[in-house]
Order: sequence, then structure tokens, then C-alpha cells
Amino acid sequence: MTVLLLLAGGGFGAGIFGSLLGLGGGILIVPLLTFGFGLPFREAVGVSLVCVIVTSSAAAGVYLERHLANLRLGMLLEVFTASGALVGGLVAFLLPDRVLAGLFAILLAYTGATMLRRGVTAAREGAGPIEPGEDPAGPADTPGAFRAALAGPGYRPARLGAGIGGSVFAGLVSALLGVGGGIVKVPLMHLVMGVPLKVATATSNLMIGVTAAASAIVYLMRGGIDPLVAGPTAVGVFAGAMVGSRVAQRIDLRVLRLLFVAVLALTAIQMTLRALA
Amino acid sequence: MTVSAPIGAGTAASRAARVEGWIARVLRAGTLLSVGLLAIGVALMSLAGWSPLDKTWPALDLGRIPGDLLALRPEGFLWLGLLATLSTPLLRVAASVVGFLGAGERRMAGLGTAVLIIIALAVVVAQRTAA
Repeated sequence: MTVLLLLAGGGFGAGIFGSLLGLGGGILIVPLLTFGFGLPFREAVGVSLVCVIVTSSAAAGVYLERHLANLRLGMLLEVFTASGALVGGLVAFLLPDRVLAGLFAILLAYTGATMLRRGVTAAREGAGPIEPGEDPAGPADTPGAFRAALAGPGYRPARLGAGIGGSVFAGLVSALLGVGGGIVKVPLMHLVMGVPLKVATATSNLMIGVTAAASAIVYLMRGGIDPLVAGPTAVGVFAGAMVGSRVAQRIDLRVLRLLFVAVLALTAIQMTLRALA
Repeated sequence: MTVSAPIGAGTAASRAARVEGWIARVLRAGTLLSVGLLAIGVALMSLAGWSPLDKTWPALDLGRIPGDLLALRPEGFLWLGLLATLSTPLLRVAASVVGFLGAGERRMAGLGTAVLIIIALAVVVAQRTAA
């Protein structure tokens, strides 16, 4: 009973943090389950993928209703994130836990550095502006019009090739480490493809569910998801994400971000030690 | 009374908005169903006094789920909740395919179909490599 409550409570905390800081929560769930509850790394990744899907599905619905996500761009890129996730889900069962822990430590360090480096100017060269009067939602299904169909109000995604390559990488990262991959997808769409940050965040969230589902299916069918751990953790994460989205306006995110970076740094050190052990 | 226009009617923007609204409803329903089933499973675990880390987890057996549900066994609700969780994004893609086909956007429908094929491939590959 105590463990059940602790799992749900831990998931709740990860859900709040993830929601306040715009992360899926996976970056916290894997360390929580491995260090807090002693789960093997791969089992923690399987549970984390389930939690990531729950939060993504809940948030993506809201983003779509508010017309923040670019559904067309998301559908194009998720073909490649899903491909990467399928390969990653298979590779994850071939790699030793220590290697995965080492990769996770790198991801934590990168995430922490990214959070400290807020306010970076977007490199928007090549992201063609939309002419006044042009219909950004896209024209009919005609040859050559596909690229224009990916545009949104005031922007047109640039460097599709880089976006596609980066999406495969995001899918691999998601499947290997049990995260949504937003930490790769958002900078990719925003900084490389010139998509506005809010749209990139919403579109990434939309894609996370499919990306994580592609690898979660591999984990599930290979017996890598523990329903007894996934159930309470996912319910906790969902509740935490709901609360987080409601209190976000009332919290000083600068302090929270610094606290979060400190937590990430400590976790990265622990993961590194685990990898080297 | 509100009458919904057919998906194919109107401008590209209005068509997209209708498809998005439809998909949002699929996501919301799927999430509520998944979390609801998982929450029931967790409540039943609690009533049964199960500790998640003390028990070996029950294997996924689709044939057993209906019986487990009727007998109010936690594993039935947990497995069904997990399956619903994993299915929700896929239903979203399927809904997108139908919506874009209705809107006459075959390329977008094709992309959604490609995602579903990749997921089907994941199932086949996982089955073969697990054996």
C-alpha cells in the first residue's frame, strides 16, 4: 500500500514538474523508478513511455482545440519519429543497462544546459514569411503544394530534410531513454525549421504520443512493461499534469527552473556513476 | 441545435479546424478511458493489498482480460488501461486519416497511413523477435 502511494505520489510530482516546465515528465520518471524504487533501467523506460503517452494525449487534445499545434507538420514528422522509435525500441533490448544509464546522463546534462540557456534567438533564416492574403492552412492536394500545406499563420517550415533527420533521432532517443523526445523536437522545429516556439511545443506534444507508442508496443510485446508499476505511476502523472497546468500562471518559473536544473545535475551525476559502476 | 458541416466543405483552414476538433475529441475520450481504467485497477490493487514491487507482474493475455474484468481482478483493468493508453495516439492517427480523406487531402491521409503501417510493423517485429 505504501509503495503504491509512493509511486502515485512520485508520478504526481513528476507530472506537476513536467507540466510546469513544458517537459513530458519522462526525464523525471526514469530516475525516480531506478533510484527511488530500484527498478532495472529498461523496466523504468517501459513505464515511463506509458506515462509520456498519457500526458501527451491529454495535452495534445487541448493544443488542437486551441489550434496551437500544426497537425500537418506533426503528421509528416511523426512518420520519421515513429520509424526511429521502432528501431530504438529494438536496440534498447540489445544494450546493457549501463550504456543506457550513460546515455541518459548525457540527456540530463543536455536538458539542464538547454533550460539554463533560455532566450536563445531563433535561427530563422530560410523560414520563408507568408505573404499577406496567402492561405497558410494550405491549398488543395496538388503537386508542389505540399510544402505550402505545412505552413501556419505567419511562418513556413524550412529545412524539411534536417527536420526529417532530426525526427528519426528524436524517435531513437525517446525509445532508448523513455522520454517524449520533446527536448530534441522543440529545438529542431523552432531553431532549425523556423517554427514559432509555441507551435513547436504544441506540435511536439502532439507527436510524442505516436512516437512513444511505436516503441512502447515493442516494450509491451517483449514483456518490458510492468502494469503494477505503470498503473499507479501513470495515474499520478496524469493528476500531476492536470494540477500543474492549472497552477502554472501562479508560480515563479525562474526559481522552479533553477531548482529543476539542480535536480537534473544531481541525477546526471548519479546516472554517470551507475554507468561507470 | 448545432449542425456540423461535412469535413470536406469550406476553406482549407475551416476544414483543418474541423479535423482538429474531431481529433481532439478522440484524444480526450481515449485519455479519460485509459486513466479511468488504470485508476480502477490501482484502486483494486489497493483493496487487495498488493504492493507493486512485491509481486511478479501478470503476463499480458488478451483472452483473460474479459474474465479478469468480470471478476474485478486488478490486472484486467490495468492491462486494458495500458492497451487503451497505447491505442489512443493510434486512434488519433486513424481519425486524422479519415478526416483528411474526407477533406480531400490524400497526401496527409497517406502520411497517417504510413504511421499506422510503421506501428503494424512494430507489432510484427516485436512478436518475431520476442519469440
